[in-house]
Amino acid sequence: MAKAFKYGVKGITGYLEPAERELLRSLFGDVVSMLEPEERANQDPLAALVGLDAEAREPSDRALRRLLPNVSKNDDAASLEFRRYTERSLRESKMGALKAASLGLDKDELVLTPSDARHWSMALNDVRLVLAERLDIRDDEDAGHVHLMQDWSQAEDVESYLALVYNFTTWLQESLVQAMLQSLET
Amino acid sequence: MTLSVALGPDTQESTQTGTVTSTDVLSAPDIPWNLVIWNDPVNLMSYVSYVFRSYFGYSEAKANKLMLEVHKKGRSIVAHGSKEQVEQHAVAMHGYGLWATVEKATGGGSGSGSGKGKGKRG
Repeated sequence: MAKAFKYGVKGITGYLEPAERELLRSLFGDVVSMLEPEERANQDPLAALVGLDAEAREPSDRALRRLLPNVSKNDDAASLEFRRYTERSLRESKMGALKAASLGLDKDELVLTPSDARHWSMALNDVRLVLAERLDIRDDEDAGHVHLMQDWSQAEDVESYLALVYNFTTWLQESLVQAMLQSLET
Repeated sequence: MTLSVALGPDTQESTQTGTVTSTDVLSAPDIPWNLVIWNDPVNLMSYVSYVFRSYFGYSEAKANKLMLEVHKKGRSIVAHGSKEQVEQHAVAMHGYGLWATVEKATGGGSGSGSGKGKGKRG
């Protein structure tokens, strides 16, 4: 069973069972694959190098749209233009955090530097955003309903399994953020 | 600014997209813009508060107040600045997974209803 993250003399530490690390590694990997930009045959290599993507569009997948949201609520043209300048690097910075967190999963005992902790909290947050879309969490009531699912012996279908995974990552992120908040005090 | 303190070199790529970095030259005459954070049922309150504290350098009290405003009213204006500045903040917020948008500040209140925080930014 995982132990909650703690802040102490060594920094932020935590402990995960091998099966939990395996689960997180696959979740982080899944979100990385969602974020991989599509390769386009006629892409301008120089533009790609500086992070421009003239063909970027609002993602059709809801979860991906939540990870890469529009920057304007009402102005779609402005959002699209902004996306062309920034989306590629946003994808890359998210993938960077997810991969960094994944690399840290090689040991049972986790000892996180402040920068590791930030990557972990971002990675867990992105995983939860994606799971929440798959679970159709639209409001606090939905979230409360999903939260009731705590018993792994009840995992009988994909939906209940996802809910348990969501609750596990929520618990883990909450404990990590509490440790990070504590580290801000000192 | 707080940006370089809050973001390590490895997550800073999000702000390096060429033309968007020349915010220093912009000053008073520019039309002010707002950075808005929207409520969602997924982001942890502790995490939102942490992001406000570590990224913007806000005090615990201010970060919690803004976080609760997001939670209860559905949205909160958490920063003001030039268009370029708030856009840069928005990308950083998206990096953290917060749902952020930018909007032109309107004199008569922008619909958040609170009317507070006008031009408070230093």
